[in-house]
Amino acid sequence: MSDLLHDPFIQSSLLPLAIGLLATGVLHLLRRSLAVAAIPLTFVAVFLLVVGLPALPPPSSMGKLFWASAAGLVLGIVADALGARGRGAATLLAVWFAASLLWIALPALDGVGPAVTLLLLLGAGGWIAFGSGFHAPGTTPSGTAPSGTAPSGGATGPASVLLALALAVGGTALIGSSASIAQMGLALAAAAGAFLLWNWPAERHGWGLSGQVALGIALLTAAVLALFTDSRAVVLILALPALAAGRVRRLLPLPETGLGRAAGAAAVTIAAVVPALAALGAAFVLGGGEASPY
Amino acid sequence: MKKTLFAAALFASAAFGAASASAAPVTYKLDPAHTSVVFIVNHVGFSNLFGRFDKPAGEVTFDKDAPEKSSVTVAIDTASVDTNHEKRDQHLRSPDFFNTKEFPQMTFKSSKIEKTGDNTGKLHGDLTLLGVSKPVVLDVTFNNQGVSPASKQETAGFSARGTIKRSDFGMKYGVPAIGDDIQILIEVEAVKS
Repeated sequence: MSDLLHDPFIQSSLLPLAIGLLATGVLHLLRRSLAVAAIPLTFVAVFLLVVGLPALPPPSSMGKLFWASAAGLVLGIVADALGARGRGAATLLAVWFAASLLWIALPALDGVGPAVTLLLLLGAGGWIAFGSGFHAPGTTPSGTAPSGTAPSGGATGPASVLLALALAVGGTALIGSSASIAQMGLALAAAAGAFLLWNWPAERHGWGLSGQVALGIALLTAAVLALFTDSRAVVLILALPALAAGRVRRLLPLPETGLGRAAGAAAVTIAAVVPALAALGAAFVLGGGEASPY
Repeated sequence: MKKTLFAAALFASAAFGAASASAAPVTYKLDPAHTSVVFIVNHVGFSNLFGRFDKPAGEVTFDKDAPEKSSVTVAIDTASVDTNHEKRDQHLRSPDFFNTKEFPQMTFKSSKIEKTGDNTGKLHGDLTLLGVSKPVVLDVTFNNQGVSPASKQETAGFSARGTIKRSDFGMKYGVPAIGDDIQILIEVEAVKS
């Protein structure tokens, strides 16, 4: 059993999938709006298993990533439990993300390249908070969802975006020989996959601030990859348009029926996955397609 | 007579001067071309992998007559890690292992030297790796001191061996598959400053 838990493949795929499925179910029972917190919760749990509990205060970027993620998880759970939404919740998310990113990136800001990376990631974080069109639980683009149903434009779209982004980060890290970052990226993708399974074929959950935090964690993981490793993380710029995939749904004249929502979710997923695949392809070509043999 | 006294005085002062010079500690700089810092780590129980650091630097202040008064300071460029496989070296430079962007150097500063034999001793000191300082002890052998026939410079040569646990320094990734115990082999030639 111990060997199984230490297997990098299990740690970054089946284990986070299982934890994600279980955590989503448990949180759903506790309070439906908290279910999406299963994604950052799974990330934190897998981090503890793969990297271990970092010291506090953390001496390195990976330690900072853990504690920033843990803080985001708490923030998300509290905000979703209180039903925080709208501009206030978005501002809270933006402050958490910007503070976490600056905390992680500060030791690496020794030139133009890292500064540009920081600005790009800050912009992407701002987009997640204010511009992505992903909504707090219980809200729709036009208002509040009917009681007892998942919100229109709810969790499937942003969860698909997270899945695609996390795969891009994990895959780029794997090709760039940064195994623990690769494992954490892939674990985040598996956690998003578990959440998506709970929301298929019918959406059961909203996205909430915890979901937004999960997207922020994907960007923070990308920051560690870009600023502290030899990986060709510049290719992740190609994956950033995935964040705008949620907009695709608005452009499509789809009816507010079960079939229409399913078609919309599929369109968002495709729009998110294509840029992520482009980033992975570029990383593969630039990196020689070979990972670390340890 | 005067000439004899002068000669005697000159001889005495020269001899005294020479004696005090031999007793004084001499500072040497590490010669990177003839210094090897090698580590051995177990790989998944199948083999023991060798790696090295290509850019060591430092000083040895050596007192041959009183070795316990000697001291050593070494700084190693962690990004110079070399295991004869570029992809693996990239991984070793990442936050999983040496985290070279955040911790570009590891350092060793001696605190005490115990003499254990005619030309052997235990070198105590603090190793700082990934921002964590821990005491380590190396078994040291003094090999030779004198003018090198190759470089024509005053040179001292030492060997050192020891073992550390990488997890003590927060380098936990891959333990236990990638061994926690790291054997260290150091061969030093140092040239008089």
